[in-house]
This record gives sequence, C-alpha cells and structure tokens, in this order.
Amino acid sequence: MAGFEYVRPTTLEGAVAELSMRGDTAVAVAGATDLWVNIRSGKMKPEAVVSLRGIAGLDVLTPERADGGGLTIGAMTPHGKVEDSAWTAAHFPALQQGCAGLGSRQVRNVGTVGGNICNAAPCADSATALMLFDATLVIQGPGGLRELPLGEFFVGPGMTRLLKGELLKEIRVPDPGANTFSRYIKHTRRRGVELAMMSVGVRLTLEDDMTTVKAARISLGVCAPTPTCADRAQDMLVGKPLTREAVEAAALVAAEDSQVRDSWRGKAWYRREMIRVLVPRAVEQSGAYVAAGLAPALDDAGSAASSGASAPGAPTPDDPGASSGATEGGA
Amino acid sequence: MAGMDKKNIHFVVNGDPVSALVGPEWTLLRALRDGVGLTGTKEGCGAGECGACTVLVDGTAVNSCLFPALEAEGRSVTTVEGLTQADGNLHPLQKAFIEYGAVQCGFCTPGALMSSKALLDQNPDPSAHQIKVALAGNLCRCTGYTQIVEAVQAAAAEMNGTAAAAVGNGSGAAASGAGATGAASDTALAGVTGAVDQPSHASTSGEVTA
Repeated sequence: MAGFEYVRPTTLEGAVAELSMRGDTAVAVAGATDLWVNIRSGKMKPEAVVSLRGIAGLDVLTPERADGGGLTIGAMTPHGKVEDSAWTAAHFPALQQGCAGLGSRQVRNVGTVGGNICNAAPCADSATALMLFDATLVIQGPGGLRELPLGEFFVGPGMTRLLKGELLKEIRVPDPGANTFSRYIKHTRRRGVELAMMSVGVRLTLEDDMTTVKAARISLGVCAPTPTCADRAQDMLVGKPLTREAVEAAALVAAEDSQVRDSWRGKAWYRREMIRVLVPRAVEQSGAYVAAGLAPALDDAGSAASSGASAPGAPTPDDPGASSGATEGGA
Repeated sequence: MAGMDKKNIHFVVNGDPVSALVGPEWTLLRALRDGVGLTGTKEGCGAGECGACTVLVDGTAVNSCLFPALEAEGRSVTTVEGLTQADGNLHPLQKAFIEYGAVQCGFCTPGALMSSKALLDQNPDPSAHQIKVALAGNLCRCTGYTQIVEAVQAAAAEMNGTAAAAVGNGSGAAASGAGATGAASDTALAGVTGAVDQPSHASTSGEVTA
C-alpha cells in the first residue's frame, strides 16, 4: 500500500477546507469500513486521507420529542447506534431494521449512516430505508450549508450530487405523523453479513379513519443504479382505502417500473419477482393491515401469519423480532 | 514523503498505557501485532468479512483490520490477551470455549471471544438468537457454530451464577435454535428487530437512550 498523508481535522469547516484545498488527491473517510478495504487492496491510491472521526458533534441521534416527531441523525452516527435505539425502533421501524441488517456488528459499530449514504451503493441499506421518510440531507460546503432531499442525492453507483469539498453534516427526518407503519426487508442469500440482493421498504401513513392512505412510500434497493422510490406505485395507494388488492396492484407496478438487472448476486427476473412478493409482505409485516381492520393473512398452514407488533404470530420467547422476518427469504 | 512519516500513538491496551510508532496506512491490527507485540489478534481476510481480528475499542467490538491505527490515539483497546483474569485464570468465556469444543483450529477464536465479550458486557443473558446476531461477523470454518453458541451461553450462565441451569439448558437451547424454531431465529438475522436489547453507545444529553 502506497503511503499517504493522514489528516484529522477537528471541525467540519476544517475538513471542508482540507478537501477543497486538496481536490481529487484527497478522500474523506468516516468509519473506514468500505474505504479502507479499497485502500488496502490498492484500488484507491489517495495522496491524503481526511478522517472525519475527530470532528465532535456528528455522532448524534436526536429525536424531536420523546414520544415521537422527527429525527436528526449526525452523519458520523454508526449504524449500531440506530440499531440499539428503542426510540427509532418504535417510531421509524424500517430505519432501525435497515441499520440492524447491515454488515456485522463489528461493521455496524464503526460504519456510519453518513458513510453509507455518501458511498452511494445501490444496496445502501440505511439510504434505502431513509428514503421512506422523505429525509433531507444537510450538506456543509466551502460556502456554508445547503439542504438537498435524499431522493435527489444519488446520481449513479458511487456517484452523488456532493460537490468538491462538500461533506454531509446530518440527515433530517421529518415527523411522518400519526398512524405511520413501516418495514424494511433486506433480501439476501445468507442471513448475516451480506449485501442485499435487493431490498424493499414500505411506509404507510393512514388518515385518522385508519382506512384511507394519507401517504405511501415504497423504496427499493438494488432495483436501479441507485436506491429509488417506486413513484408510480406508491402514488396509486394515496387517497384510497388500504386493501391487500391495492397493495398487490401497486407491487406489480413497482416491479414493472424497476430497472433491475442481472448480476452474480441475482438475476433481473428474480429481483423483479421479489419486488412483487416483498412489497405486500412488507406492508403485512408493518402492521398496517391489522391497524386498518383487515384480517391477518393466512399462511400456508392456515394459521394467521405474522403481522408486525399487532399480531406477533408465534415468536420464540427470546426472539421478539423473529416472527416479523420469519418468511423473509423463504419464498 | 512529507506528512507520511510515522507518528507515535499513545493508547491503552488491556489496561496498560502503551505507545507505538505507526504509519498513516497502519491498521490497529498491525499496531497491536507489530507495534505492541501482542500477536493474539489474528488477521484473516483483512477486509472486514471474517472477524478474526475483532478487538474492543472503548468496549465496542470492531474489526481491527479496518480500524486506522492513528484513530486509536487516546482509546482503550481490549484484545484476547486482556481476557485472562488478574489471577492468571482464564476468562469464563475462554474456559467455556475449551469445554464445549468451540475451538478447533483456533484461528477465529480470539475474534469470536472478543465479539462474545462485547455481547456479554452489553447483554449478560443473551438468547441463542442474540448470540448468533452478535457473532454473525465471526466466521468459523471448523466448529459449525453450534459449540460456539453453547459456549457463550454456558459462560453467561457461569458469570451470572446460574451455571447449574446452564449445563442443562446449554445444548438444548442451541439445538432448538437450529431445529424447531430455527427458521424464525435464523431468518431474523437479516432484518432483525430488537435483536440487541441494550445500548452499546454511551449516550449524551439530547441523544436517544434506547
């Protein structure tokens, strides 16, 4: 491995100044779980590495209120912190699930949410989950702060709208409102320490009648060059009563509109089929159907299938999360 | 080579203050092995996949092969050498790994022990499922994992003073994890909710305290 200079600024402005001054010869590094692999293998040969670890105040998870509301996530917050946050699990379950399913515990302890977003992999779990909640990125540049919706941030694999010298400061997640249900399903060939073959997130916010869909988001990982939302599919659900038929129709549209492709991890036809299967499953597991007064789905054995917190099925006593993921990967 | 010179870092390893002269490209793994001379921590894949190099940094399990050595400045690191008790006895985890056959070739063992230590520090009474989640990043090509899960359960019981119960339940609990409830337990590894009940990160004012 070639030598490089290791720069460790203690302020965000200082880091921006270092990166602006050095241009393409420097790379910013957060948790280093991706970048260090590329440096060690020689794939990346930076002249300088600008470490963001010395910057105080970016490793924060700040809820708006104890009982709900929005959430601000500092860019240097490790996934493990989101995983362990009972508040996030209660108010943004899909986000907690996305962060908890990434890599290994060792990786989640240092790999940051900001790094996951800025790395811009099509399979970025935290980014795909955050797209469900209309997150906004707060970006520090040489000229100050600017904001950009997460949905407009990605350009392609590894490519973002971050300009030279800019750094992500924090992610702001607005209050999705009452009656919100969400679920993130990462579809993998093995169950731990694996990149997603594809992933599906859903978020439904119901009107106070607990029937009409007020807002719907369907996010997809590895179904396009970037994490995406299935715009046409999610729009189909809004303003209408929540029904299984409506969700299945939307899932079909999400599958049709996807830009899936063949790769060694999975074929395009299979990924497309999994969108159709997993979107309804994610809605089921979000608890939205039961909240809307619909009967839980019957599984093949004829008993009520698991459905989020409202109908926990038959989890093992020591495994409260198991039931909601019990059929994931089964198909 | 301006700016690429080696720097002396000062940190605490297994309770003792140490210093090491490290280059900017050095990992914590290399600093521990070549700088401090503690070779218990192993390098497997060198890419954060296998977990053989797992150590604790300020109590948190990390892959030392991906942890820049310069970031260890001022931190407290625990390696497998630090598990041994002050009186020279093995840690309950080490004893249980031996007793349950959780060690075969031994190369993954230091990392598996450190991930287990991080888990038990955070959650003294983990379920088989929680052990699997915590150790998902520690590959073992010998044991098939069942013995490792049993060993962690036995060590937890020993440390909680409920050893008698654990001997009876150890293999039973592990067997049920792989059998009747296996589908549910295993599947949840990917998108698990509530897998770890206790927060591992110290919280400061205004942060979520889980």
